[in-house]
Amino acid sequence: MKIAVCIKRTPDSETRFRIGASNSAIDESGVKFDMDDFASYAVEVALQMKEKAGSGEVVIVALGPDSVQETLRKAMSMGADRAIQLKADVIPFDGLAVAKALAAELETGGFDLVLFGKHAFDTSEGVVGTATAELLHLQCVTAVSKLEIANGKGSARRELEGAAELVEFSLPAVVTIDEGIARPRYPSLKGIMAAKKKPLESRPAQLGAPRVTVKSMALPADRPPGRIVGEGTGAVAELVKLLQTEAKVL
Amino acid sequence: MSAQNVVFLLVLTVAAGIFSLNVQRLVRYVRLGLPERRTDRPWWRLSNVLTIGIAQTKILREPIAGMMHATIFWGFIVLTAGTVEIFIQGVWNGFSSEHILWHPLYVLYAASQDAFAVFVLAAVGFAFYRRLVLHPKRLEGDRIEHLDAYIILGLIAGLMLTLLFANAFLSILQPDAVGPEKFVSRALAAPFALRAPRVALYAHPVFWWSHVLLVLIFLNYLPYSKHLHVVTSLINVYFSNTSEKGEGAVMRPMDLEAETETFGASDIEQLTWKNLLDGYSCTECGRCTAACPANITGKALSPRKIVVNTRQRLMEKGPAVTGEDMAFFGVDLLHGEGRDAAESLGGNGDSRLGHRLLDNYITEDELWACTSCRACVQECPVSIDQLDIINQMRRNLVLSESRFPVEVQPAFESLERNGAPWAFNAADRARWADGMNIPTIAELTQRGERPDVLFWVGCMGSFDDRAKKITVAFARILQACGVRFAILGQEEHCHGDPARRMGNEYLYQMLAKDAIDTLNRYAVTSIVTSCPHCFHQIGNEFPQLGGHFEVVHHSTYIERLLQADLVPLRTEEGRRLTVAYHDSCYLGRYNDIYDAPRETLRRALPVVNLVDPPRARDRGLCCGAGGGRMWMEERQGKRINVERTEELLATGADAIAVACPFCMTMMSDGVKAKESDVPVLDIAEVVAGQLSTLSAAIDTS
Amino acid sequence: MSNILVFAETRGGELRKVASEAVSAGRRLADASGGGEVHVIIAGPPGVAAKSEVLGRFGADVVLALEHPALGTFAREAIAATLATRAKSVGYRAIVLGFSAQGRDLGPRLAAKLDAPIVSDIVEVESSGADVLTVKHPSYANKVIVTLAITGSPAILSVRPSAFTATEAPRTPRVETIAPALDPAMERVKVTQVVEGAKGRPDLADAPVIVAGGRGLKAPENFKLVEELADAFGNAAVGATRAVTDEGWRPHADQIGQTGRQVSPQLYVALGISGAIQHLAGMRTSKTIVAINKDKEAPIFKVADYGIVGDVLEVVPALTRAVREAKQGH
Repeated sequence: MKIAVCIKRTPDSETRFRIGASNSAIDESGVKFDMDDFASYAVEVALQMKEKAGSGEVVIVALGPDSVQETLRKAMSMGADRAIQLKADVIPFDGLAVAKALAAELETGGFDLVLFGKHAFDTSEGVVGTATAELLHLQCVTAVSKLEIANGKGSARRELEGAAELVEFSLPAVVTIDEGIARPRYPSLKGIMAAKKKPLESRPAQLGAPRVTVKSMALPADRPPGRIVGEGTGAVAELVKLLQTEAKVL
Repeated sequence: MSAQNVVFLLVLTVAAGIFSLNVQRLVRYVRLGLPERRTDRPWWRLSNVLTIGIAQTKILREPIAGMMHATIFWGFIVLTAGTVEIFIQGVWNGFSSEHILWHPLYVLYAASQDAFAVFVLAAVGFAFYRRLVLHPKRLEGDRIEHLDAYIILGLIAGLMLTLLFANAFLSILQPDAVGPEKFVSRALAAPFALRAPRVALYAHPVFWWSHVLLVLIFLNYLPYSKHLHVVTSLINVYFSNTSEKGEGAVMRPMDLEAETETFGASDIEQLTWKNLLDGYSCTECGRCTAACPANITGKALSPRKIVVNTRQRLMEKGPAVTGEDMAFFGVDLLHGEGRDAAESLGGNGDSRLGHRLLDNYITEDELWACTSCRACVQECPVSIDQLDIINQMRRNLVLSESRFPVEVQPAFESLERNGAPWAFNAADRARWADGMNIPTIAELTQRGERPDVLFWVGCMGSFDDRAKKITVAFARILQACGVRFAILGQEEHCHGDPARRMGNEYLYQMLAKDAIDTLNRYAVTSIVTSCPHCFHQIGNEFPQLGGHFEVVHHSTYIERLLQADLVPLRTEEGRRLTVAYHDSCYLGRYNDIYDAPRETLRRALPVVNLVDPPRARDRGLCCGAGGGRMWMEERQGKRINVERTEELLATGADAIAVACPFCMTMMSDGVKAKESDVPVLDIAEVVAGQLSTLSAAIDTS
Repeated sequence: MSNILVFAETRGGELRKVASEAVSAGRRLADASGGGEVHVIIAGPPGVAAKSEVLGRFGADVVLALEHPALGTFAREAIAATLATRAKSVGYRAIVLGFSAQGRDLGPRLAAKLDAPIVSDIVEVESSGADVLTVKHPSYANKVIVTLAITGSPAILSVRPSAFTATEAPRTPRVETIAPALDPAMERVKVTQVVEGAKGRPDLADAPVIVAGGRGLKAPENFKLVEELADAFGNAAVGATRAVTDEGWRPHADQIGQTGRQVSPQLYVALGISGAIQHLAGMRTSKTIVAINKDKEAPIFKVADYGIVGDVLEVVPALTRAVREAKQGH
């Protein structure tokens, strides 16, 4: 089985963001980047499938500047066989543009399965996976929390709001991975050493002119500082009122 | 030359030959281990042999069993001279040491032979009593293990009795040959001399031969018994580094560039010859396991089993690899704790090669249960390094196999991403100092100033709410004393010690090298820290990576300030408090600092009544957080911190004092679990509470 | 003057709340452009056209009902194809969907089919020009609000649930039935079963509300207070601290914290939890945090939006009653 996993390099989710001088991007100084969490679940799923099948190939694809090579190496240190960088100085906010570049790479790859994270932490859109599937004319299952592949067929559990769908589909297919499906493995030093010798190709991404562009970025208003509503059972009524009117969670 | 001489020589040659053959085999097995240089500092090593070995200082840490063993051991040394005499008699009829010794010396020698033979017999008698009647927990073992002990004790008793009786009957045959100084032999001879002196004609050669044969049997039994330690323990003490503290108590350096195939140890060839020699030296006394906090609280780990398993695996694999099988009637050094592991494997030849030390003998759970508290190393009478084996195997689990408890992964990832073993934002690292007017070293450098000392705060002290109070208290003391200090602020990050202790040497070295670069960039030379783990790591382990800094733990630092009368203390004596101090392992057993924190408490609280729980100082029980246990679940057995808290509360103290933020968390949780309201305070908090400048600011009640 | 196409999603034949919000958002876009029409596609089993009345109330001018027996379950490919065919034949300024499980599937497909620009999960339309639309989209896990300019038509927008209020703009829509562009029975991804919200509790990862208990509950049997409060919320999962799971009061799977699950629900209620470093690491990103603890110095109060200082064993039963009443009054 030949599996492609499209991953993204995103800032650490603990980052306290500042907006850069251009006002159209975050200030990246001091920000740690790593493989996006959802992408790392997808890599883990792919590796487990290959291990279960006993043979196959896991190819990692990522679009971005050269720093993305470090993330590709990380995926290979986890166990992926090779990696492809689609080189672009910046990753556009235009999900369809990214999907086109990925589809151009993937369509000749002969993959049985193409995995994505459900969405990436930075853009938080969830567009690229499904759009790539459509461009490749492949069936696509999104937000999958369980996945079984056997005899060229897949079955999956897909999370909905307060419910779940169980679906079946044939391969080749595109699947986007939700959390809870697998815990990404921690690369061993052995894996890190091996990854240094695995092939990493780099070629320019075929990105058209983006039609979605960042006009500005801003930090959301601070959340009001916490407060002690009161002491003992007497404070309960006030708390419930606040939850209803202020926090609007009740 | 008589026929007897010829027979004797023949027996001696065969026995010595078999023994030397087996010794050569054992040496060949040990050489399967990695090379390691252990011949530096010969005088220091020799002094270890004299104190730990000859003077039995570690054995005597347990007075009763210690005296028993020391008696047998010293008896052996003394009586070996007698055995030599008897062996010479085998080729030189009628030889006596009297012929070659100055007379008074001979008298002393002869008297000591008889006296020690009796002492040894008494000690052996006590040993039987102990094993058969008292059943100490640490001597629990399987049938073969007990049988082995009885065989050896029986042999020793036999040696003593045959020696005494051989001399007794000799005194009847040749009254001149055995003088009054051999008072026991002569006393034994007395009844025979009166009633049946002719018995001596037959009895003397019987006892003489019995003694000779017992010596040779004993010798050849050793390689098949845990009592091989008779031969190896002094050698092991010579080559051991475990009595070192501070810079000597560091984890084994590791060259990540050099190794490409395997990292750490999963089988005996990846351990060093010294680790394997440890296996030969273990006589399974169980002192390590009896002191092990994990074992005490019912976890899978037994440091004794780690060592015994190492020997068992060596005895399984050694013959298969070297083609030198020393098994004799199917008996070899395979027995001992954890023998089931070895037996259940079965097979021989090639299938033995398919086994390995990790998993087949020592499980992952055992390795992760270790708190790295060093109590096992401290207790071992023959200087075995159990922890070194555990640490090397942890490295293999993480670096080669990426196997560790699931909850460790977030800690590794946080160390990579945030520079702290918790997912806290690096930007918040110096938040505790807000409004305290504490400069960062970058600010000082910009102003062209240099601090007296750099305060390394540590991750606990920076992020944990309870530990932040310790940090603030210590900073207040420094300020009150007029010490010009700085912090690294956001430039500080973890030095990687948690990763190192959890086997992730790769992550450790990245973090440590980066920290060294930061410290060097500001030309830092002198560091103070309130965390014993930071103290040990930066001061003692950074030199491995080229970082040389003088690091002082805050207990020592405050003690010096108090000694120099620099701390503005309140003058009133205050309430009489009974305080129980809990020793931190990385301060105590790793660095030999037991008195500084106690002295600090005494000087700050003139009327304090310091008490120790039964396990204190170098016998102190770990809080349970070391060795990366802070980041792991405690799923098995009783919680270590609860066990320790119970010991501390049982002293009846009004407060528990600690000198480590990790101990603080564990003891605070323990006190909470016991629903006690006894406060747990860091020594810095106690001192800060006594500062005249801010008596109201910190409440130590 | 430009027309807007809206997809109004249904589940089990019922309109979802986000459908009205999408229609309302479409209405405002159309009005802002000088009074275009809002065309709404609704898909479902036969009879679903009856929902057109509701859609009209929020501003639908035309309701295009795609009725098919196979549409009792979601048919992503058939609906996407139908939307695309409609968009190609009529020409719209924008297509609006909900940012929901269905919308996440349809939006990007539609974008690829029409080669149209797409922005997901918008919370506001800042301006709508003839050529450029600007919208606000929270990114970086809501830590950064990005204003995006979208060039070209149709712009595909999915709206975040609850971000756009459904305001009434009543009219009587023309109702047309349309044929699916692909047979919904021929979906390549077959839904074999829909697992409705578990009878028990939602998983920690999904639950909008999490009620968690700590050592302050004192005994395992007191955990029923936590469960009762979770029941009162109705959609709440139950979690615990490491101290509690270590004690065996709760299974390890329930543990929230650095070594357990990391959660960020809409509402996190911490009961008898002091807020140890390792627990905070697992729940700090929750939207609203409520803490009840008897120690007013407990670190949990530093991260909590609302705190009550008091004994959980007394306060929680009172809170449970109050929440139950509030829910019933809703």
